[in-house]
Amino acid sequence: MFGSMRMIMIGVMVAGLAGAGAYVFKLRADNATLKANQIKLESAVSEQKELIENQKKDFKEILDANNKMNELVNVLKKDLENLDKRFNKKNRDVGKLAIQRTESIERITNKGSANATRCIEIASGSPLTDEEKNATKKSEINPECPSIANPKYIPY
Amino acid sequence: MNKPTPLELENLKWIIITSENAEEVFKRLEESGIDPVLWGLTDKDFELLAKNFAQIRNQLKITNDLLDKYKEYYESDLEDKNEK
Repeated sequence: MFGSMRMIMIGVMVAGLAGAGAYVFKLRADNATLKANQIKLESAVSEQKELIENQKKDFKEILDANNKMNELVNVLKKDLENLDKRFNKKNRDVGKLAIQRTESIERITNKGSANATRCIEIASGSPLTDEEKNATKKSEINPECPSIANPKYIPY
Repeated sequence: MNKPTPLELENLKWIIITSENAEEVFKRLEESGIDPVLWGLTDKDFELLAKNFAQIRNQLKITNDLLDKYKEYYESDLEDKNEK
């Protein structure tokens, strides 16, 4: 009787120990899975953070580029307004002037035409010459398009 | 992507003709061996031509700068790699 009771007790203890061992193994496996998931999550969060940072950087660059483009549009508009002023300043009539001072107006027209031609070359991507880059005086600039031809020139 | 080659334009010569100098201008052309014929613009049309050219120039500049920006954005990685 006692012998069979002992056997049952031992059986229960062995089964308990085996169950506890299996449970510990399961816990360890679960823990490993959780750790792996945690690493994956952290990596995903880090990737998302990087993505958001890149998007922020891109957005700022696009905004800066847009601002620069708007600045360019404004200075080019100013060049165009200056051209209009040169033709019509103080009710100036270029036609009448050309009749009165034909040769000098012809000379001015040809100079202006050459300058305007150079402006188109620059606008199409032609590199600036040292002379154009370093021009700071009115007498040195290309009056047709100083905003793109003479970066150092500040109107005075 | 390569950028378009910048323009290299020819300079042209404007001749102003008035009722007073017309004969002299045509005579000068003949003497220089140039056909005595001219394409004419009134002072107002000359002004419009100058403004049209200025507008084309401005648009060209804007388009060219825009292309630079796109190149900078899409090809800056390539440039970095090339530098390395």
